[in-house]
Amino acid sequence: MTTTNIDYDYLLKFLVLGDSGVGKTCLLYQYTDGRFHTQFISTVGIDFREKRLVYNSRGRRHRIHLQIWDTAGQERFRSLTTAFYRDAMGFLLIFDLTSEKSFLEITNWLEQLRMHAYSEDPDVVLCGNKCDLLQLRVVSREQVSALAERYRLPYIETSACTGANVQQAVELLVGRVMERIENAMCNRELSLLMTQSRCLPNLVFGPELVRLGEPGASHDVSESTRRNCNC
Amino acid sequence: MTLNPQYEDIGKGFVQQYYALFDNPANRNTVATFYSETDSFMTFEGHQIQGATKILQKIQSLTFQKITRAITTVDSQPTFDGGVLINVLGRLQCDDDPPHAYSQVFVLKQGGGSFYVAHDVFRLNIHNSA
Repeated sequence: MTTTNIDYDYLLKFLVLGDSGVGKTCLLYQYTDGRFHTQFISTVGIDFREKRLVYNSRGRRHRIHLQIWDTAGQERFRSLTTAFYRDAMGFLLIFDLTSEKSFLEITNWLEQLRMHAYSEDPDVVLCGNKCDLLQLRVVSREQVSALAERYRLPYIETSACTGANVQQAVELLVGRVMERIENAMCNRELSLLMTQSRCLPNLVFGPELVRLGEPGASHDVSESTRRNCNC
Repeated sequence: MTLNPQYEDIGKGFVQQYYALFDNPANRNTVATFYSETDSFMTFEGHQIQGATKILQKIQSLTFQKITRAITTVDSQPTFDGGVLINVLGRLQCDDDPPHAYSQVFVLKQGGGSFYVAHDVFRLNIHNSA
């Protein structure tokens, strides 16, 4: 889909989900400073933005190419195809702090997400957007805390308007996903070791991610992500 | 009843009239008058609804205001009971969203001296692969 130079270590694909009008597109626009081009794929109704970042962990520096997929308004028609969820590694689930309905819909979105995502327990960051509109706020912190606790979701309040916490929300998700990947890598290395010692069949763990530049790793990212499809 | 030779004009005229009302948020609710209280079916993005009252509720639940629409084709056929089958292919843009292709099928039937919409099937044309 994209033919950018492959000078990164990881390609991460995130989705933004939530009711129409909660500020998904504005939040993305804010995150990418409006500088990065947006690409619209009309056949599947996907609008996506890209950004490069560096993630430091366990003494290593990882160059990340982040792709954030946004709906193109078809959620107004309650029409999201499975293509939208395919290969997504993390989810930003957004509601509007000034709209009770958008908050109540979060449980439906979580249901949808669990049905279509690669795993029953994917990495999700819950964002209460429009936190700058104090006067109009109708969803209390207690309400959100109860929900976030019930579903074990990290929660953050953002403002796509002022930019408050927007970067933090995305980076929180990057951290979660990277941690899962690193653990999966450990598992895979372990599994490889065990396969070689004929203890286990050749199993694949976690999101089928390829660490580029590593011996034996495939350089065809699109091919590797396609294999990950379990929709 | 026999075939209605005016099917082509009826199809085009209906589509124009229907969307003129639907696309304007101030008039959208009035499209409910095209449907029968009992004998109309709508399938909106796979969601099946029967009767004008429920169809109106569905229409009122849509969150966009203005629709900008570009019709590509309107294909019509006469049906043997004097009605008209219409297939619309086009693109629509809700407020500031990116435009989406869509298709919509209507079946008009005669009743009480005029036509009503007996069947209405709507889908955005989005797919599982790019």
